[in-house]
Amino acid sequence: MTVAVAIALVMFLFGVFGSGGVGAQGPVTLNVYINGDTNIFDLWNKSLLPAFMKRYPQYRANFVALLHGEGSQGVLDKILAAKQAGRTTDVDLWETQPSFVTQGEPQGLWVKLTTALIPNLSRVPTQKLVATDYYGMPYRGSSVVLAYNTAFVKNPPKTFDDVVAWIKANPGKFAYCDPNTGGSGQAFMVAAVYKFVQAAQFAGGTYDPKAESAWEPAWQLLKDLNSSMYNNGFYPNGNVAVLQLLSQQNVYMASVWSDMGTDYLKRGLLPKTVKLEQITPPLFGGDSTVTVPAGSAHLEGVFQLLNWVLTPEAQQIVINQVSGYPGVDWQYMPASVRAQFAEVAKPYSPLPNSQYLADMLRLWHERVAGSK
Amino acid sequence: MSGPGWFWAVGALRRVVGLGALLALGAFILGPLATLLVWAFAGTWLFPNLLPEFSLRWWTYVLTNADVGKAIRMSFFSAPVATLLSAVICIPAAYAFARLEFPGRRGLLLSFLSANAFPKIGLYVSIATLFYRLDLMDTFLGVVLIQVVNTLLFMIWIPTGTFRGINRNLEEAARDAGAGPLRTFFQITLPIALPGLIVAALFAFIAAFDEAQGTLIVGTPNHVTMPVLMYALVLGYPQPVGAVFSVLLSLPSVILLLVTQRYLRAGYLAAGYSL
Amino acid sequence: MDRAHRGWKQGALGLALVLPPLLVLVFLIVVPAISAIVTTLTPPGGSGPTTSFVNYAEVLATRMLRADIGFTVTVTLVSVAVVFLLSYPLALYLRFTRTRATAILGVLFIVPLFVPVVIASFAMITFLVNHGLVSTILYRLGFERFPRLVYNATGIVITQVWVNIPFAVLILGAGLQAIDDSLVDAARDVGAGSLRTFFSVILPLNITSTMITLTLQFIGIFGSFTIPYLVGGNAPQMLGVTMTDYLTQYLRRTESATLAVIAFMIAAVVGVIYVLSVSRRERGERVVR
Repeated sequence: MTVAVAIALVMFLFGVFGSGGVGAQGPVTLNVYINGDTNIFDLWNKSLLPAFMKRYPQYRANFVALLHGEGSQGVLDKILAAKQAGRTTDVDLWETQPSFVTQGEPQGLWVKLTTALIPNLSRVPTQKLVATDYYGMPYRGSSVVLAYNTAFVKNPPKTFDDVVAWIKANPGKFAYCDPNTGGSGQAFMVAAVYKFVQAAQFAGGTYDPKAESAWEPAWQLLKDLNSSMYNNGFYPNGNVAVLQLLSQQNVYMASVWSDMGTDYLKRGLLPKTVKLEQITPPLFGGDSTVTVPAGSAHLEGVFQLLNWVLTPEAQQIVINQVSGYPGVDWQYMPASVRAQFAEVAKPYSPLPNSQYLADMLRLWHERVAGSK
Repeated sequence: MSGPGWFWAVGALRRVVGLGALLALGAFILGPLATLLVWAFAGTWLFPNLLPEFSLRWWTYVLTNADVGKAIRMSFFSAPVATLLSAVICIPAAYAFARLEFPGRRGLLLSFLSANAFPKIGLYVSIATLFYRLDLMDTFLGVVLIQVVNTLLFMIWIPTGTFRGINRNLEEAARDAGAGPLRTFFQITLPIALPGLIVAALFAFIAAFDEAQGTLIVGTPNHVTMPVLMYALVLGYPQPVGAVFSVLLSLPSVILLLVTQRYLRAGYLAAGYSL
Repeated sequence: MDRAHRGWKQGALGLALVLPPLLVLVFLIVVPAISAIVTTLTPPGGSGPTTSFVNYAEVLATRMLRADIGFTVTVTLVSVAVVFLLSYPLALYLRFTRTRATAILGVLFIVPLFVPVVIASFAMITFLVNHGLVSTILYRLGFERFPRLVYNATGIVITQVWVNIPFAVLILGAGLQAIDDSLVDAARDVGAGSLRTFFSVILPLNITSTMITLTLQFIGIFGSFTIPYLVGGNAPQMLGVTMTDYLTQYLRRTESATLAVIAFMIAAVVGVIYVLSVSRRERGERVVR
């Protein structure tokens, strides 16, 4: 008993004194919070951050993964609570869904990014910065595309209506993930909505709940597809789960992220017979942006990091690691890269704004999943 | 009544039922774990093969992941400390609930049930703000406190029942013999209560260990525990990777099981444990 | 005089000892919970009465949420029943029989206790999913069709049972341990069969641990998140998952808090039932030993 107490005491002391990174001298530690999936975590944790730390040894980076956005509300609450308590926050950089950035804007939680702070920002197409109100810096992009197994799909569908027809003709062989759990599933849902409304109406800054009644036919369409979906209407948990279904040939077609799909093909996790293609009208896509909390204690280091991320060296890592589109304008990438992406780097549909998207998710659950 | 023949039949029947129950339970409990173990050593496993092609490549993939080591260390530091802290503040309280009369005793005892009844999601924003004011965010102590909250129920109720079940005559006899209250407690009451307290500590440890939602807010970025990491691993990686992680992360639990299984035999619990 | 003084001293000591955990409870549960409840009682828009039940009315009017509440209650009751039906015989067997099987069973049933819930869910999925181990074995034996055992209510119940058996058996077993063998033998001598002995002698003597098991199992399963999140289907969902979705995905903090309070009240009802049953027993308690 005494031994147990002694051990616990030692561990406690270890924990108390061995924890936290409060170093007066020594490297500055930047805390980087990334929302996404495991391929993005690997991009930052295994490639981008180590390369940055090698280039700028005075910085260390601490990486925090938020899988499928789990815990994002908690992070926003942390930043807000820190501001309200008048302290610095330990979140130095945050890649997250636009909805959380929007929530934080009225409270003045973010730094407005300018070329004065980040010189390489001039390489980013202006409209991308305008889209985030200059609060988010795009560093990579991708879109959702159609993945299909050519061994089983001889005539791949070219439009959204073709896809719907194919699904009905081949019940149980298509899947999209539960929209709550992954963007690839959201894209399919949003494509159904965009069939009946003007995308621009829901992708801008305005929000009018009454306009949502226009979405009714989309819910009807998706509800009708329930019985033709994989496993009689089961929507897997996450982007990766759908890729696994595709690889085990449980389904022959699915909506997947271009970067994840290309990556899985490269690593042999998808059969070589799987191809990726964009349909008409295209599934949505967008740029992933990173945001800087104004309450960060290491602003100078963060701006250094962001400036470096926009260099050709770093952008090439993005392309090689995750087959993503660069955040900078294509003209700054070598010609070979531009050729490589010709099939999928077509314009994509815009993402609906965060409030509409939140309502879409809820209504999908009520009308489509909940109506079986 | 019953002759020896009947007894023999019952005895044999008992043995058959026992064997049947053993097999069925064994399959149910060990089956899922066995499947995971096989997956951990699978390169690829396609239906309808009963066994996969074996490979160790996912082990390399997992073992080179730095986050795993960090999370294991954090879990195995914070959970025992939380359990110990919980024991220190709760066991005296449990004794009070069991032996002393004070106003509101029953109501207060019930209020600890409420700790587990209110869903944590509704709470975590307020807890985060409070911790910020008290400078407890991303600290070891903050994580420990969140885990302690999860252990309160077990650390109060089970010891209360344990203490209540101890025959008062024993304590009164010690008092009559001249022993003071503290001496009586440590030399008479505590030894008898020990098995029940160990069971309470075990459940409390497991509750602290499994805590994920609160720890995510309070412990990031430097104090990530195993459960927080596990969601990511199970959902985001190919099947064998999740299996490898599970095997790695279960090893300490298996060791704990072997070490403590003595105390969990029903026989030990008999010593004075009754509610 | 002396006795009153002693009583007062005892009362003060009792309260003092209970204070530390109580403070933890108050600051980390009660205060945030009240803050959440206050949020739910504030009507949206800010005009009109300062407290109202409008949020509750809205939540209960939503078909999907009523379905989720009903689903959670049903799945919880079924899980608790199955755990109970499996654990009691096991506990009785371990208590009243001494064979070689007993020793092995004694270690076996504890195993799930040491497996973190996330791993347990993942293991159950790989075991029971279509094209997983069980279905492959059955397929090899000639069974073409395999029922859907995961990503639905069945999966949740099976996993909850797997995870909760150890705790139930331990608590029930501990209570059974306190029952003297002589009482059971006495019943047998009088000619009572096993079932009769159980209902007339064993169960009444073990009522406290029985009630504790049922209560804690219900509350635990009712508010769970991990198992329904990983093993459950898309809809209807258990309230733990619904609440999280409302907060993090649908950005509806008030609805999430409202659901939390409703869940709490249902769990509280079960707690009250437990208290009433225990109080009744305490009032008429005679030491039977």
